[in-house]
Amino acid sequence: MEFNLSKEQSLIQQMAREFAEKSIAPVAKQIDEESKIPEEILAGMAELELFGIPFSEEYGGADGGYDGYVLVMEQIAKVSGGIAMTMAAHTLGLGAISAFGTEEQKKKYMVPGCKGKHIVSFAFTEPGTGSDPKQLSSTAKRDGDYYILNGTKRFISNANFPGAMVVFAKETETGEVTAFILDKLSPGYSISEPWEKIGMHGGQLLDVYMKDVKVPVENLLGKIGQGFPVLLLGIALGKIGTSTAALGGTLAAFEEAVKYAREKTHRGQPIAKFQAIQLKIADLAIKYETARWLCYRLGCLANNIKDPAAFAAEAALVKAYCGDNVVDAARIAVDVHGSYGLMRDYTIERVYRDAIIGPEIEGVADMQKMIVAGSILKK
Amino acid sequence: MNIVVAMKQIPDLQQIRIRNRKPVFDDVPMTLGAIDKNALEVGVSIKESQGGKVTVLSAGNEDLEDTIKEALAAGADEALLVIDDALAVAGSDVIAMVLAAAVKKMEAAELIIFGEGSGDNYSGQVGSRVAAILDWPQVGYASSLELNGNMLRAARSLEDGEEIVEVTLPAVVTVISGINEPRIPSVTQILKAGKKPKEVLEPEDLGLQIPAEAQVLSLSNLAPESERKQVVLKSVDELVQALKNENVIGR
Ligand SMILES: Cc1cc2nc3c(=O)[nH]c(=O)nc-3n(C[C@H](O)[C@H](O)[C@H](O)COP(=O)(O)OP(=O)(O)OC[C@H]3O[C@@H](n4cnc5c(N)ncnc54)[C@H](O)[C@@H]3O)c2cc1C
Repeated sequence: MEFNLSKEQSLIQQMAREFAEKSIAPVAKQIDEESKIPEEILAGMAELELFGIPFSEEYGGADGGYDGYVLVMEQIAKVSGGIAMTMAAHTLGLGAISAFGTEEQKKKYMVPGCKGKHIVSFAFTEPGTGSDPKQLSSTAKRDGDYYILNGTKRFISNANFPGAMVVFAKETETGEVTAFILDKLSPGYSISEPWEKIGMHGGQLLDVYMKDVKVPVENLLGKIGQGFPVLLLGIALGKIGTSTAALGGTLAAFEEAVKYAREKTHRGQPIAKFQAIQLKIADLAIKYETARWLCYRLGCLANNIKDPAAFAAEAALVKAYCGDNVVDAARIAVDVHGSYGLMRDYTIERVYRDAIIGPEIEGVADMQKMIVAGSILKK
Repeated sequence: MNIVVAMKQIPDLQQIRIRNRKPVFDDVPMTLGAIDKNALEVGVSIKESQGGKVTVLSAGNEDLEDTIKEALAAGADEALLVIDDALAVAGSDVIAMVLAAAVKKMEAAELIIFGEGSGDNYSGQVGSRVAAILDWPQVGYASSLELNGNMLRAARSLEDGEEIVEVTLPAVVTVISGINEPRIPSVTQILKAGKKPKEVLEPEDLGLQIPAEAQVLSLSNLAPESERKQVVLKSVDELVQALKNENVIGR
C-alpha cells in the first residue's frame, strides 16, 4: 500500500493550487455575485489543459488520468464551486463519449472539448424524472439519415455553451432508452433563462427544449437501447467530479474554520484556545481526510474500470459520503464563525451555499445508498 | 543560444513544521528554490524570443533526479545534474566549483542565470563564485534583462536606486524575485517532464573530490525572539504618533 503522491501528481496538485489561488480566488466573490465565470479564467484553464485531464492525447486530452483529475478538481472546487460544477459536468459528458463513442465521434467531439473550445453537457434529467430512466419522456424518431429529437431536459449544466451534449431519449420504434450526441445550439435547440440556484454560482444550469432537433444517425452513442449502460457508467464517472467538488468544499470549510479560530479573539486569546472550538477543528480534519482518500482512490479506480457495475457502486458510496460530508463540514465551519459565518463578507457563507448542492445532484443521496445496498445484497 | 539556469534543490519551506523552535525535516518533500524559478522563467522567455536551448544545472543528492522534473515541466529543455550525497551539505565554495566545472564541460554556454540567493541558506555567493572561476563578467540583482545579439543590458535593483549596466556574453546573471512571475506548467508539460533529456554526472566525472563533511556548520538559524511591546492606544492619532516614534511611518 502506497499513500504518497508521485512527483508528477504533486506537481499537478501544486499547479492547480497555484492557478486556483492566483487566478480564481481573487475573483471568486465576483463569480458568486455575477453568476458568470470570466473568459480569462476559462482560457487559463484551457491553457493548463484542465478540460481534458483524464482523456487520451489522441483526442486532445492530457493523459493525466482520473487521479490527476481529482487532484485538480479538489483545488479548483476549494476556491469556486461554480467552476468545479462546470468542469465536472463537462468531464462527465466527455467521459461518456470516451467510453462509448466511435473513433469519428471521439475525434469530432472530444478534441474541441478537451481543448476547452467547447464545453460539454450531459442531459438526462427531465421535469418528470431525475433518477429513473424508465420515466424518460424525450423521444427520438428515425427519419432517413437522422433522428428527430423532441422533449424537455431540466437542470442541464453548461447547456448555454457551444459543444456536444450527450442526451437520453426513447427511440420511438423500440421504446428503448438511447443516448445521442447532439450539437448544442443546432436548429430546434433552445434554452431557458439560467436557473437561479442557491450556490455554485457561475456554474450554468438551464432547461433545454428540443423541438424537432435533427441528429445525424452517426451520432447515436452506443447502440439503440444501450442508453441505460451509457447512463450508468457516465453518471458513475460523473460522481468522481461531484465527489471531488464536495471534497474541495470540505477543504475550504476546514481551512476557513482554522483561519477564523486563530484570528478571532475572546478575552484576549484566540478562540482556537477553547476546547469546544478544538473539537470542531478535529471533526473538520476527520471529515476532510476521510473524503480525500475516498476521492483519490476513486480516481485511481476509474483509470482502469473492469466491471462498470462494481465501479458504479464504488462511485455511489463515495458520492453518498462526500455529498453529505461537505454539508456537515460547512455547517461546523459556520458554527466556528458564529454569526459572522452568515455574512457575505466571509468566505464560509459561500462555501455553505455551495456545499448544500452536493447531496442533491448526480442522483440524490438516497439513490446512491440504494445502489450501494444493491451491490451488497444482490450477491 | 545556450542558456544555463542553475537551480538548487531545497526542502519545501511551506511544509516544514517547527517543533521546540527547531525545523522538522522528516518527510518534507524537496522542491526548487523560489527565486531560482524566476531565473528559469528568464531563461525560458529569452529562449522563446531568441531561440536556443535552456539547460537546468543542479548539484545535490539523488532526490534531484525527481525534483528536477519541476524545472523540466516549467520549460527547461534538458537537465545536467551532478549528484553526490555530500553535495546536499556542501558549502557555496564547493557548489560553485562543481557548477563551474559542469559548465566548462557543456558545449558553449553563453549565459548562466542564477537566483540572487537560494531558498534555504540564501548565502547569495554561488553566482559570483562561478563567475569568478569562469572569469566571466557578472551582473547581480537584475530586475530586468534585454538581450541584443551579444550584448546584455540589465537593470540592477539596488537598495536606493536602479543601475543600468551592459555586458558582453558570455556572462553570469543573478536575478531578483520581482523580475517576473514564473509560468504555471500545464498537465502535459508536467507529465512529459520526466521524458526530457537528463545527464547525470558524479563529481569524479568532473575530476572533483567533494569533502564528505561540510566545512561550514550552521549551529542555529533561528529568528531572534522578539518581545511584543503590547502598547494599548486609545485613538488613531495616538497610533499614528506611536508608529512615527518607532520610525515605522513618515519620519
Ligand atoms: C447544480 C445542478 C447541476 C445539475 N446538472 C445536471 C446535468 O448536467 N444533467 C442532468 O441530467 N441533470 C443535472 N441535474 C439534475 C440532478 O441530477 C437531478 O435533479 C438529481 O439527479 C435528482 O433528481 P430529481 O430532482 O428529479 O429528484 P428525484 O429523483 O425525483 O428525487 C426526489 C426525492 O425522491 C426520492 N426518490 C426518487 N426516486 C426514488 C426511488 N426510486 N426510491 C426511493 N426514493 C426515491 C429521492 O430520495 C429524493 O429524496 C443537476 C442538478 C443540479 C442542482
